[in-house]
Amino acid sequence: MFSLLQLFAATEESGPAIHITPGELFTVGGFSITNSMFYGGICSILIVILLIVAARKMTIKPKRGFIQFVEIGTEFIIGTIQNSMGSRKKAIQYAPFFASAFFFVMLSNWLGLLPGVGEAITYNEQPVLRPFTADLNGTLAASTVMMILVQYFAIRENGFIGYLRHFFAGSLKNPATYLLGVFEVFSELTRIGSLALRLFLNVAIGEIIIAIFTYLGSFAAPITALPFIVLELFVGALQAYIFTMLTIMYLSAAIKHGHDAEETIQAANEVTAQTA
Amino acid sequence: MELDVLAKGIMMGFGMLGPAIGIGLIGSSFMNAVGRNPEAAKYFGQVFVIIAIVELMALLVFASLFII
Repeated sequence: MFSLLQLFAATEESGPAIHITPGELFTVGGFSITNSMFYGGICSILIVILLIVAARKMTIKPKRGFIQFVEIGTEFIIGTIQNSMGSRKKAIQYAPFFASAFFFVMLSNWLGLLPGVGEAITYNEQPVLRPFTADLNGTLAASTVMMILVQYFAIRENGFIGYLRHFFAGSLKNPATYLLGVFEVFSELTRIGSLALRLFLNVAIGEIIIAIFTYLGSFAAPITALPFIVLELFVGALQAYIFTMLTIMYLSAAIKHGHDAEETIQAANEVTAQTA
Repeated sequence: MELDVLAKGIMMGFGMLGPAIGIGLIGSSFMNAVGRNPEAAKYFGQVFVIIAIVELMALLVFASLFII
C-alpha cells in the first residue's frame, strides 16, 4: 500500500514527463521560439492549404471524403449562428470567422494526439512538437483575437454610441448605471481569461492524463492509454465547439439591443391571443 | 513528503466535489425539462456549453496539483 503511494509521489525522479509550460527550442533575434509556436505554425499552414483545396473542389452536388467533412462543419457553424442570432443572412456573413476558428482549434487539438508529438522527438532536451492549444500563451492569443473581433462587429452593427449604451444601459442620470457599466466592461475582460483557461486546461490535462497512463502501463501502454486517446478525440472536438459557441453567444449578446423586451411582450400577446 | 500527498488528495477530493454536484444538477434539470416538454431535447448542445463553464473549476483544481 505504502509502496503504491510512493509510486505516485515520486514524480521528480522517474515519473511521467509532465510539462505545463512550453519549452524553448531556439531564439531568433532575442525572441524565443517555443515548441508550441513551431507546431502552431505547421498546423495553421496545413489548415490554410487544406481549406483552400476544399473550397476549390466544393461543388453543388456533394462529394465524399475530406470535402464532405468541411461542408458538415461549416454548415454546423452556420446553423449554430442562425439559432443564436435568428437570421440566415447574418449567419452567412459571420460564418467565415467562426468556421476558421472552429477548424483551427479542432485540428490543433487532434494533431496533438498524433504519435511523435511530445517526448518522442527531442531537440535541446525539449520536445520539438507540442499542440498549440496546450500552451496558455496560444489560447490567450486565440481568445483575445476572438473577443476583439466581437467588439469590432458590435461597433460596426450598433455604432460606437450604441456599443457604449450596451454596457451603460439605463438612465444616464442614475449613478448605479455607471457602476454596473464598469462591472459589465470588467466581465467582458474576464471572458478572455475564462475562454483561454478552459481550452488550455482541457487540452493540457488531456496530455498529462495520457502521459500518466502511458507511464503506469509501462509495457502495456498501448492498451492503457488508448481509451484516454479516444476520450481526448471527443474532448478536442467538444472544446472546439464550446470555444466557437461561447464566442457566438458573446457576439449575439453584444449585437442585440433595446427591443428585446418589446419582442417578448409582443410574442406573449400573440400566444395569449391564440389561446384565448 | 507524505503530508504533501495527503494535501493533494484532500484538495482533489473537496475540489472535485462542487463541480460534480453542479454537473449532476445540470443533467438532472435537463432531463426534467425534457420530461415536461420533449421539444426541449434540441437544446442538448447548450447543456455541454454550461457543463464546460462548470468544468473549468474542476480543471483548475486538477491543474493546481502540479503547482503545489
